[in-house]
Amino acid sequence: MSLDILNQEPFRFLISFGAILFLVLNLAAVLTMAERKVSAYIQLRYGPNRVGPRGLLQPAADVFKLFTKENVSPSRADLWVFLLAPIAMFIPAAAVWLVIPFAPGAVVADLNIAIVFFIAITSIGALGVIMAGYGSRSNFSLLGALRGAAQMISYEVPLILSLLGIVMLTGSLSLVDVVNAQAGGFWHWYFLPQLPMFVVFYIAGLAEARRVPFDLPEGESEISGGFMVEYSGMTWALIQASEFASMGLISAIHVTLFLGGWQPPIDALDLGSFNWIWFGLKTALIIFTFQWIRWTMPRLRMDQLMDFGWKVLVPVCLIWLFVTAGAMLLLPSVF
Amino acid sequence: MLREERRAREQNRGGRASGRLAGPDVRDEFGLETLEMNMGPQHPAMHGLLRLILELDGETVVRCDPVMGYLHRSKEKISENRMYPSVVPITDRIDYMNNIAMEYGYCMAVEDLLDAEIPPRADAIRALLNELGRIMSHIPSIGFLLLELGAFTPILYAFRERERIQNMFEAITGARMMFHYIRIGGVKADLPEGMPEQMWEYIEGLEKRLKPDFMDLIEGNEIFIARTRGVGKMTQEKAIEMGLTGPPLRCTGVSYDVRRDYPYGWYKNLAFDVITDEAGDVEASYRVRIGEVQQSIRMIKQILENLPEGEVMADLGRRIRPSEGDGFGRAESARGEYVVHVVSDGSDTPYRVRYRTPCTVNMQLLKEIVPGHYLPDIMPIMGLIDPVSGSWDK
Amino acid sequence: MSVTLPEGDLQSRLERYLKGFRNRHGLGESAVEGNVVRLVVEPNILPEVLATARDNLAVLHLSFITVVDLEGSFELTYELLDMRGGIVRVKMRLEGEEPVIDTVTNIYPTANFHEREAYDMFGIAFRGHPDLRRLYMWQDHFDHHPLLKSFEISTKRTFEGLR
Repeated sequence: MSLDILNQEPFRFLISFGAILFLVLNLAAVLTMAERKVSAYIQLRYGPNRVGPRGLLQPAADVFKLFTKENVSPSRADLWVFLLAPIAMFIPAAAVWLVIPFAPGAVVADLNIAIVFFIAITSIGALGVIMAGYGSRSNFSLLGALRGAAQMISYEVPLILSLLGIVMLTGSLSLVDVVNAQAGGFWHWYFLPQLPMFVVFYIAGLAEARRVPFDLPEGESEISGGFMVEYSGMTWALIQASEFASMGLISAIHVTLFLGGWQPPIDALDLGSFNWIWFGLKTALIIFTFQWIRWTMPRLRMDQLMDFGWKVLVPVCLIWLFVTAGAMLLLPSVF
Repeated sequence: MLREERRAREQNRGGRASGRLAGPDVRDEFGLETLEMNMGPQHPAMHGLLRLILELDGETVVRCDPVMGYLHRSKEKISENRMYPSVVPITDRIDYMNNIAMEYGYCMAVEDLLDAEIPPRADAIRALLNELGRIMSHIPSIGFLLLELGAFTPILYAFRERERIQNMFEAITGARMMFHYIRIGGVKADLPEGMPEQMWEYIEGLEKRLKPDFMDLIEGNEIFIARTRGVGKMTQEKAIEMGLTGPPLRCTGVSYDVRRDYPYGWYKNLAFDVITDEAGDVEASYRVRIGEVQQSIRMIKQILENLPEGEVMADLGRRIRPSEGDGFGRAESARGEYVVHVVSDGSDTPYRVRYRTPCTVNMQLLKEIVPGHYLPDIMPIMGLIDPVSGSWDK
Repeated sequence: MSVTLPEGDLQSRLERYLKGFRNRHGLGESAVEGNVVRLVVEPNILPEVLATARDNLAVLHLSFITVVDLEGSFELTYELLDMRGGIVRVKMRLEGEEPVIDTVTNIYPTANFHEREAYDMFGIAFRGHPDLRRLYMWQDHFDHHPLLKSFEISTKRTFEGLR
């Protein structure tokens, strides 16, 4: 039996799916460490630096600790909903990685409606938050769930609208086409013609990933953990993993759509099938900016958050859509 | 009689127990229900052990009832059983962020009973440490305000300043936090050699650091302004009616400061401004606190330039046994007006010591001002009062 | 709207306060000592004296209320400030074990917490107080008033007999 059989359909998918799952879980673990180190250096202190050389084995220690912790659940919690919620939060964050192109030809599922797939699956994340808060049957969780629902559902609108410019420019909903259309150097990347959309998608992505300044559902200062206050042990670890995975996912999509995916900034630096290195570097940069913002800014209050989403981001998106359409009509040679 | 009434009232409230979601059997005549919820006493971000019984209508607070007493340590009762000098460590622990003012007030009250003359160097050192203690308390207050808004970094910058001041206090008094330094009749011991120069260096450094490390990063931040401007707005009448003192009162525009209006100790010789702000909201209280830090820096420089020589403890005899009467000591702590009323019956221990701590009174703000605000606004309003749980609970 | 605090020379203000009180009420003792106007009043006219202070004399700030347990009677001290250097100190004596006195929260709303503390620690009931509950001690099953001289503390008897 030659190894070619592994390239056939069921095996190829299963192996790549396993690889993606492995990647996502490790990404979540590594990001916990990165978050702690980045936050530490911003706060003028060292982060964890005892476990392993320079603290690099800290995620392993954390995961080991969480495996051995008891999963406590409130006595009158709705157990099915309570336990399914972390799964409902993790699966969307893991599933969308299947459509992201890492390198030329390296995409697990080359859907021609990949963008719609991304939008549809990310919406399920909001459902997970509501399940977690409602299933815990406690006042703080309920407040966190309501806030989470309001925030995530309303910020999906600017998230989606900001993608439409790219869809118009590319003429296709497939992420592979989007990346291929940005070939030739960083001046072809979509963040230049679509700069307002780039910013809007970034902000809406922060809101979808529930990061500061949009972390009110989890508002640590008032409702101490919000929708995830009743979780502990592995269930909590899964929620945290899904948060970091979704942060990584939003960064990856951001890079794919606006920053050229695996395209090198200058053609001379093209690495062929090792272009996933470029993809990784750009995604890491965006993740770093997410963390930088988290440890610098305070958080917005609920009504201010909603005002900003509906009254600022959505009009900006709509206006820029018209500008893009106009530019495509008037300058057909460029676009 | 009052106890029975209270119990009857609590039982009649029946099914509206806290924490239960509205079920079909609990229905209001309008069909709407407010959510009764507890914030605290265990909470990652309360300024201590405070239980707030909140009634929420969605995210709006309808009623806010602070329940205090979780850190009540019966300081007044203990003070009745200790001799006069031994009460000073008790006062240390009342407001643990600004201990030096607590000691100062008590010692002034006993010196009032004894009609004692304090040597000028002791007065100057007391004022110097009082102002350093004020800086030590205001900068972390600003850090806590921002921590509760969700910015996790300024608190660490603030505690870096506090650590530096605590190092100086450790060299002077021997302790980082519970100083037991201001004693009846003066201070415990003179400043160590080289301490005035070290303080001078630190103060100049702080003056340079205040703007880039704190003010520039905080004041222009859009989110900070959106969260604090207009939140907790009070009028001057309301503030005086509620009995507020200190930064919560001065942020509405009433210019009342014990150091200027009822001067004590070395403050009679110092020139400083009383910082007020007209707006009356949380942002105004932030500006008042930063302004007070700058004024404290100015006062410390004045004291260090003219530090008198001499002894640091008056000779009050071996035993402190004041004659019968009452003594009053009024000091400006970082949180407001702090008064100690000592009643003496001629024996070795006080007959009654009453600590009028500013936070107990300032907490009335929560009952009056919070209803009508959103739930996330409670935290900035606590940042306006800046209470410390030892101070409201004694 | 802003609040104006009294201006002018301290001594003349204190004299004015003293005259204002003497003209309107029958006081026990009254004198000016240093920057303090000392008054001793009967419990039944206390609310009127404080109302005079706030309305007619512009002494706006109630600093504190102290209760001293002289076994058999209580001595209350109300200290009012005009926030510009003058102090008005009103003392009165209440007889009896569980005295009742009128509240002053309708005149100085800040007295709310001070009176709750007095009730909690000494058992003095204030007639007309909007919300007279304990402030520091726990509210069920604690029938003692801790700062009374008859409430002894000793290490042996800490909690037995208290609940």
